[in-house]
Amino acid sequence: MAAEVSEHSYSGQLVHSRLLYRRKRLYSIVGLLLLLVIVVGVASSLGSASVPLSTVWRLLLSWLPGVHTDSGISDTLSTIVLDIRLPRIIMAGLVGAALATAGATYQGLFRNPLADPYLIGVAQGAGLGAVVAFMLPFSVHAAGLSLVPPLAFGCGLISAGILYALARVGKTLPMTAVILAGVALGAFLSAITSFLLVNSDNLHGVLLWLMGSFTMSNWDEVHVLFPYLLAGLVLIYLYSRPLNLMQLDEEQAQQLGVNVERVKLILLLTATLITAAAVSFAGSIGFVGLIIPHAVRLVWGGDYRFLLPLSTLAGAIFLILADTLARTVISPAELPVGVVTALCGAPFFLYLLWQKKREVF
Amino acid sequence: MTRLLGKTLGLLVLVVLIITSCSSGGGSSGQSAIELTDQLGRVVKLDKMPQRIISLAPQNTEILFALGLGDKVVGVTTYCNFPPEAQEKPKIGGFSTVDVEKVVSLSPDLVVAALIHEKETISQLESHGLKVLALAPKTLSEVTQAIELVGKATGTETQARRAVEDMETRMATVARLVAGLSAEGRPRVFYVVWHDPLMTAGGDTTQSELIDLAGGRNIFDDLSKYPTVDLEALLERQPQVIIAGSGHGSAQNSPLEWAKSEPRLKNTEALIQNRVFGIDADIVSRAGPRIVDGLEEMLRLIHPELAAKLKD
Repeated sequence: MAAEVSEHSYSGQLVHSRLLYRRKRLYSIVGLLLLLVIVVGVASSLGSASVPLSTVWRLLLSWLPGVHTDSGISDTLSTIVLDIRLPRIIMAGLVGAALATAGATYQGLFRNPLADPYLIGVAQGAGLGAVVAFMLPFSVHAAGLSLVPPLAFGCGLISAGILYALARVGKTLPMTAVILAGVALGAFLSAITSFLLVNSDNLHGVLLWLMGSFTMSNWDEVHVLFPYLLAGLVLIYLYSRPLNLMQLDEEQAQQLGVNVERVKLILLLTATLITAAAVSFAGSIGFVGLIIPHAVRLVWGGDYRFLLPLSTLAGAIFLILADTLARTVISPAELPVGVVTALCGAPFFLYLLWQKKREVF
Repeated sequence: MTRLLGKTLGLLVLVVLIITSCSSGGGSSGQSAIELTDQLGRVVKLDKMPQRIISLAPQNTEILFALGLGDKVVGVTTYCNFPPEAQEKPKIGGFSTVDVEKVVSLSPDLVVAALIHEKETISQLESHGLKVLALAPKTLSEVTQAIELVGKATGTETQARRAVEDMETRMATVARLVAGLSAEGRPRVFYVVWHDPLMTAGGDTTQSELIDLAGGRNIFDDLSKYPTVDLEALLERQPQVIIAGSGHGSAQNSPLEWAKSEPRLKNTEALIQNRVFGIDADIVSRAGPRIVDGLEEMLRLIHPELAAKLKD
């Protein structure tokens, strides 16, 4: 990448190889997109309720406008496939996409391979908000909505605001200060969460929520999360070129015409926004944000113009698969999805690392 | 230092107690040593009738108070909310987070522990020379055994016998009422422990036993303990009655409110027939004397027509 941006070579061979390089990555994006569609289809066919495959596909097809293939299917089966499985799968996909993209963005911003959505305290803030919502002396479930997501989201954003105020030096935002302040803030917030939990009446429920779960995902959640995520992703993709330049050095990027401070602020805010939105619905699901961007980097390289969308797709595919395992392995009981992401994701990542380490390092 | 002070204080109290019990000239009860096997299979030797008892679990507290031992209870957990007098007692920490130092400082002559304390707390307490009796009932008949065990350990066998007989009579009444039910006459019951994520009670829980004894069928009795379950599995198993446990404090009714308002449940028989109920989670989860109240309440919810024949 460095070669690509700094050298302006007009030799035909180089132009050709650049085209080839781009085409290969574009094909990869299209390939992952197709894989995502297949994974959604397969995941909708699996579940603890035994629904015949043909029924599932008739139900899914009836979803397309103008297609009526769902006649004669019972309400229960239709609810199971269309209102329980499908929103759950899509929710897992959206959250996976959000966490992986946010993780890739943080890693690029901090130029730190250990950065992930939980490093700078945003998720901990969201978790605290969720616990507070659980502990309020009233509940608003009767009205069909829960206070957990909005409070989690709000607290996630507030902690990002505090972080920004703490780490800012004059008009600049040194990334080391952000990490240090973020780690300390995260520790402080999770301490408050633990303190509140000790006095909580439904400790078990809150703990399970914090571990992350898609058991109760529904279309309302999809409708709320999707616009946030879409806006966030588009904004992050738009800044992928400056993010590439910033991998060299902030000063060099500045000289190449990137408004470094503005890019940092926008990317930090956007990644935080989509993290908080994802965590507020799904709880903290570890591993996706850290490992998916690295896996993508190992396979397709570190060009952020491709790394970001590829991470989005890989994150979605990975979390859908993980959640499908979580709900089918010991069905009708469920595993916490975070357990699956770590249990399956870690060995896969280690394998990838072992295969590619000579090429990359 | 505190421990020394505690021990000295405890010794003082003990001396005073011995003197007063001698001067009252009362029972032969305090003289001979007794040996008991508790519900964890441990042998417990008691040299004298306990006068300072600490309970490490809410159901233990309920048993002790039911046997009229309230005055002798010197420590309970923060979760012990029944009977109301129990809340006035000094707290020795939570159910799973027992403050051993606090227990020792209260110098009890009997600590009534539970299954959860098997691994660590009991040996810790014993290393301080305390007598520990463990109650670990998993079924209703083991609850009555637990009550009789406490009766033997504390010289309240008569009260224990009476309490157990009362429980057994009421259990027999419910058993007689549901005896005639056919398999179809036993509704499929879903018990909600928590709603997000969705948690239910498996086949080896007291809740499941109560549902069964009250003439219902727990739809998740093939699972164990308190598993998180899939919403689609719930729908597939077609619940006819949904019973949500309500706890205390902030979110007490949220599982019930969820069950009533969840749109994806609206086509289940339970919702169509409007058979979604709440139940006091304490009386169906605590293996104490009130478990029979839980049984009768379950019968009222699952078979109101039969429960009408219960004499109050």
